Amino acid sequence: MFGKSEIYRIDYLLVVTVTILVFLGILMIYSAGFDPIDKVNNGLFKKQVVWFVIGFVLMISVSFVNYKWFGEYSLYIYIFLLSVLILTTIFGSPIRNTRAWINFGFFSVQPSEFMKLGLVILLAKYLELRERDIKNLRELLVPSLLTIVPVFVIIMQPDFGTALVFIPILFTMLFVGGADVSHLVSIIIIAAIALIVPMILTYREWIGAESSNVILDFFKDVDLLLIVSGILFAISLTAYILHFFLIKKVYRKVYIPSIVLSLGLFFSIAIQNLLKVYQKKRILVFLNPDLDPHGSGYNVIQSKIAVGSGGVLGKGFMKGSQSQLGFLPEKTSDFIFSVVAEEWGFIGALILITFLAVIVFRGMQIAFESKDKFGALLASGIVALFFFHIFINIGMGLGIMPVTGLPLVFVSYGGSNLALSMISIGILINIRMKKFIY
Amino acid sequence: MAMTSLKTRMLEVFRFRMYFFIAGVSLVFFILMVQLVNLQLLKGKEYKTKSRMNMENYIPIPAPRGEIYDRNFQPGTKNVVIVSNRPSFNISTIPANFKETGELHKTLRLLSRFSDISFQDVVDDVKGRNPWERVIIKEDVDFDTIVRLASHEDKFPNITWEDATVRVYNFKNMFSHIIGYTGSISRKEYKKLKKYGYKHYQKIGKSGLEKAYDTILRGVDGYVRRIVDVRSRIEGEEVGLQPVAGSNLILTVDYEIQKVAYDAMGERSGAVIVIKPSTGEVLSIVSKPDFDPNLIISKDNVKVIEELQNNSERPFLNRAIQSRYPPASTFKLNTAIAALEEERWQPEKRLYCPGKYVLKGYIDRDFYCYAFHGYANLEWAIAKSCSVYFYQLGYKIGPTIILKYAKYFGLGEVTGIDLPGEISGFIPSKKWKLKTFGQTWFDGDTLNLSIGQGFIAITPVELANFLCGIVNNGVIFKPHLLKEMRTPDNKLIRVQKPEKIKEIPLSPQTIKVVKNGMRLSVKSGTSAGLSGLRIAVAGKTGTAQTRSKRLDKFTQHAWFIGYAPFDGPADRAVVVVVLIEYGIAGAATAVPVAGRIFSRLMSLGYF
Repeated sequence: MFGKSEIYRIDYLLVVTVTILVFLGILMIYSAGFDPIDKVNNGLFKKQVVWFVIGFVLMISVSFVNYKWFGEYSLYIYIFLLSVLILTTIFGSPIRNTRAWINFGFFSVQPSEFMKLGLVILLAKYLELRERDIKNLRELLVPSLLTIVPVFVIIMQPDFGTALVFIPILFTMLFVGGADVSHLVSIIIIAAIALIVPMILTYREWIGAESSNVILDFFKDVDLLLIVSGILFAISLTAYILHFFLIKKVYRKVYIPSIVLSLGLFFSIAIQNLLKVYQKKRILVFLNPDLDPHGSGYNVIQSKIAVGSGGVLGKGFMKGSQSQLGFLPEKTSDFIFSVVAEEWGFIGALILITFLAVIVFRGMQIAFESKDKFGALLASGIVALFFFHIFINIGMGLGIMPVTGLPLVFVSYGGSNLALSMISIGILINIRMKKFIY
Repeated sequence: MAMTSLKTRMLEVFRFRMYFFIAGVSLVFFILMVQLVNLQLLKGKEYKTKSRMNMENYIPIPAPRGEIYDRNFQPGTKNVVIVSNRPSFNISTIPANFKETGELHKTLRLLSRFSDISFQDVVDDVKGRNPWERVIIKEDVDFDTIVRLASHEDKFPNITWEDATVRVYNFKNMFSHIIGYTGSISRKEYKKLKKYGYKHYQKIGKSGLEKAYDTILRGVDGYVRRIVDVRSRIEGEEVGLQPVAGSNLILTVDYEIQKVAYDAMGERSGAVIVIKPSTGEVLSIVSKPDFDPNLIISKDNVKVIEELQNNSERPFLNRAIQSRYPPASTFKLNTAIAALEEERWQPEKRLYCPGKYVLKGYIDRDFYCYAFHGYANLEWAIAKSCSVYFYQLGYKIGPTIILKYAKYFGLGEVTGIDLPGEISGFIPSKKWKLKTFGQTWFDGDTLNLSIGQGFIAITPVELANFLCGIVNNGVIFKPHLLKEMRTPDNKLIRVQKPEKIKEIPLSPQTIKVVKNGMRLSVKSGTSAGLSGLRIAVAGKTGTAQTRSKRLDKFTQHAWFIGYAPFDGPADRAVVVVVLIEYGIAGAATAVPVAGRIFSRLMSLGYF
């Protein structure tokens, strides 16, 4: 199946870094799983060891599978995973009110994790096939749909955090895949307008702000907003038609901003009026946990206390009071970084971040050096997958990102995520092997 | 070839964009590092404290508050304990230890079914407080309830209980205005006292000696340091600081005198002060109406306190030090002293009293005496309280001199008695009248002043001091209630020494005349009700007429001031001041009260 020469081309840097990270993670899961009062360990670390062994075998195996094979079958992989995901969402047994797991008795699998990789592979393939037309706006439709479908299903589970991480991965891949930057920026601006205005209004309503504001009052008037949005849309349409017939760059400068504003306003009206108040509040709390100090804000406060109290050298292995005494919630998964920072201090956190950065930058190097567009896109998608998990998870532990419940890749407890991450590493290794062939 | 070049070009686009991706990733890692440095290196100390606050639970061990004894305290014997403590418990919690408000409410609801705790009251109390501060849910919980609570500990996360002795005022109402009472520290008080180590859940003296000597009585609370987990399970426990018990107070007050004065007053409102002029030691202070401190010390009795505060009789008012009355005829002593000292008035000079005095002026005005007295010298004028005599005396010497002596005696200024909230009496002046009424001082004002009526108003304790000055030959000591402070094991900490506050150079003749007049008053004058006592009492009655704002009608207050023994050594003399609000006249109501006190003083061997 593979020759001797290929073994030499295994990226030992990745393998060693991943092993170290998983080992650190297992130590932290061991520490966090210990109950200092009953003097027992919840034993999660043992399961993680098993998952690591499985993951390691998968990683090495996948690293010898030609990644192009994944490209060939990307659509089937995607459809298969999506079906499993939908079936899980409908028939899965709820764990903590979320239908995200398939239970096999002694272990359970979270299909939404594998969906991430499935989507990345399919997007890479699609963007490779369409690389010449990708500057067209309508070429963005298919990747967006491919992403939105699983996102929608995962929101139904409901697992908001996992669903949201798909979006930045999509944007990153579209960006490196060559999509028109003005398109991407426009979409982001539309989303920003659509979200920011209702959120500010909800926030002011919540805290009972009295002072009126001319601009904000304008946004309260739905009819007026609809008219403005309609006028902008009309302007944009006219400019586009003129552009279509006359083909002058000037019109682009008119119709793009006006359509962006028009759509942004339109969606903002939709969010403002279609979502119920509690739903808007939930989004608001998601964006700013401090608003709910007893709910998700509590987690952020406790996590910041854990990290901050670690200081330079930390409190010592298994001596972190925040995690040992249970003040830190979700300490084996969402907030495992905080356990590291508390027990091993700044030095430990720095080492952990460094190892994670090694993986991310190595991945980017592999993407950069790949001589094949599919490989390059696949590698950058995998890197984006890792990167956004790391960014959101550590940012969450440090209190600068919303609490989303995303695991820290390689470190957090969780078999599906570990297996997925190690398979992804396997693919990266294989992409790197192939650069020597061409 | 063309194909390859296109592929290469496409890859170049990809690589160009990768630079931006790499830059973005680097920026994010940098931001994460910055925040890590911020939390761990810059704010590390702050978060270390917070993390300690999370896991360390400080359960206070309240220091026993000092006890209070009367003046006859002897170490090692059975003593009269005015205030003592009884063991009890508090149930408390720190709201921030609950992860959610709902969880707190659930626990409180369960607790309210468990013992008589008002769920709503506790929730209201918790609201608006710093959630990290301990909130006392229920005070004065008995041991049985605690035992039951402890056996269901798992159902009550974050709920703790601690020893908390309860103050017992053994004689209920009798000492209410001397001792005062304690209560939970209010938010306003806490703000002010925080820097002196007061904790928001502690008790504090609210009035009386409990307030005046709070720092001595309170001691220093200790605490137990507990390491707990998020569900309040205890990982370790140690005594962090042993409490230091508060010191005991020994008062100058004599329980027996207090009791007789208290009983003699009965249901009448007014005040009694019994004081030793040679030292300023207060033997008794009674103010009526009064209250039972036992009923209002508990946190749950806000309503009782409110009721008492809104009572139109104002039971919280210590009338001995916080209420002004015209001194009325008792002030004639001052007029007499002023005349004798300044005008070389011949005490033997007899003036005629036809029952009224006509003030000549644009329109003549009659100033009445309450009776027809005929000819009388100064001593008899004092004894009979003849107003006409003093009108003429006052008219002759004028208001400036009268007021000068009133000020010498400290009338119209606080005495500095060691009770909180003392107010000063009011001494009018020409300037004051012009400013307030826009009128000059009339002769009629002078006449009123000379018999202690009109604008002048003083507190009973000031009047007591005034008489002390006469009895003690011009020397006045600061009145005080504290005799000594002792540690709980009876080691003497401090003995209160008499503090001289006034020294008036009065001639012995003057004092003799005034004393004789007062003695005559008892022998065959207005205070004749005391003539039957085996001890020679000297005194002066007074009937103050005021227009009560409270009741909106003219009222009379009965005064009696007196001392005994009449001509014994000054250091054995005891001064008694009795004020009865709405008393008919000094002779009828105040004198019998004083009589009972004097006979008790005698049987106790004070003279």
